[in-house]
Amino acid sequence: MKKIPSRFAKVIPMPRFPLWERLHSQKKALSLDLELTCRCNLNCRHCYINLSAGDKKAQEKELSFNQIKRIVDEAACQGAVWCLLTGGEPLLRKDFFEIYLYLKQKGLLVSLFTNATLITPAHVELFKKYPPRDIEVTVYGVTKETYERVTRCKGSFKAFWRGLNLLLKNGVRVRLKSTVMRANFKELALIREFCNQHTKDYFRFDPFLHLRLDRNPARNREIVAERLTPEEIVQIERDDHKRIHALKKDCDRLIQERFRYPKGNRLFYCGAGSGSFYITYDGYFKLCSSLHHPRFMYDLKKGSIRNAFNKIRPRVLSAVSYKEGFLKKCSVCSIVNLCLWCPAHTYLETKTLDSPVDYFCAVAHARKEAIEKAIIRKK
Amino acid sequence: MNKTKWFTKSFIPAHEAVVARQIQGEFVLIPILSGIGDLEDAIFSLNETGKAIWNKLDGKKTLAQITQELAKEYQASPSRIANDVAGLIKELLKRKMIEEVKVGPVKENKPFSRKKSVR
Repeated sequence: MKKIPSRFAKVIPMPRFPLWERLHSQKKALSLDLELTCRCNLNCRHCYINLSAGDKKAQEKELSFNQIKRIVDEAACQGAVWCLLTGGEPLLRKDFFEIYLYLKQKGLLVSLFTNATLITPAHVELFKKYPPRDIEVTVYGVTKETYERVTRCKGSFKAFWRGLNLLLKNGVRVRLKSTVMRANFKELALIREFCNQHTKDYFRFDPFLHLRLDRNPARNREIVAERLTPEEIVQIERDDHKRIHALKKDCDRLIQERFRYPKGNRLFYCGAGSGSFYITYDGYFKLCSSLHHPRFMYDLKKGSIRNAFNKIRPRVLSAVSYKEGFLKKCSVCSIVNLCLWCPAHTYLETKTLDSPVDYFCAVAHARKEAIEKAIIRKK
Repeated sequence: MNKTKWFTKSFIPAHEAVVARQIQGEFVLIPILSGIGDLEDAIFSLNETGKAIWNKLDGKKTLAQITQELAKEYQASPSRIANDVAGLIKELLKRKMIEEVKVGPVKENKPFSRKKSVR
């Protein structure tokens, strides 16, 4: 006979649920990002992935609903709890409704990244009945001129505004964010104000534009041209009081006087693959969205998630560098935590996993200087 | 509510509204429909006994029968078990995670029809 415990059921706040810690310590993946397509109805200047909405070749490569089901079944079976639907623009998929409902019915907590321009009343009904954990919409501008300067699509601002309003008016949980680039830099204050007015969550922006996964040279030149200077990045971070406060609070970790990279010549220190993984639109497993290197990708059309982890994770953990540039610069850098550098981003910039990148370095040093100045002013 | 009447009722998980998942030893109920569970930022977790009750909610057994079964499996007085079962059922009902099954007169030698009995 078993003893009966004092309580049968308990409601535990999500962050304090003991399961997360357990799954993390067992190196189980809690979440997966599912890239439904690389196609998009917009043509943003900074985008690292988009192909046109009508790109037949890209569409043919997309995972079918049945292939997605198989992947999701295995992920859920292994304990995945969160699933992010991303793209491209996920709503371009004609079977979006089926995919979304399938994920919900598997008991996954679903998030969605969308530009909101394709939201219809039918989507709203779906999200009202089967609520997503959240929907993240990127605000490229709050005026038609700025928004469409980024998206390069006539009528996109009107479509965005209509879609966002549909979501907000119907009480769908939306979080707003922005990617900051030369094309919308001057409007950032207005974008921040707009986002803070329309959602309760902390508005966040990303000033880092990483290069194309397909290495399209013309598109990469456009992305580089859109990047802010280190000084501009520091300026917008300084103007965001919450952000600068968080940076100052974490100062000891971000600026380490006697830093020595703890893993010697090992390349990856980011914990890639310890809690999540990423599925590309054409069925490749990656440990993070940016790590688009053939050695660290696995074709899930030919194997399982378990096999993918068993094959890719050891490769990541054992990846080392003997290159002087890495050993003398990045691996001993005291401000590596302020830097955009990581093997994945570096690979997109230089086709190597271990080269320093001057732009990243300049941004990190500018950030360090700004944090130190802010601390001195406080004293 | 009259306690005796309460224990003659049968319940079934609201399968269209909630998904029960066993993740690394934790038994959790994840709402999928709007307005279920009030769990925007929380997880509803059942311990071993809660899970045993959940698994016995088949729409056929009454709460009295479930209580009797549990009394054979667990070391506790029937009244304590009855109180705990009622407590959990009320909690699950409040969160719309289960539904009461109205069982009509069942003719002998005919198998139980879930389709007919679910509202």
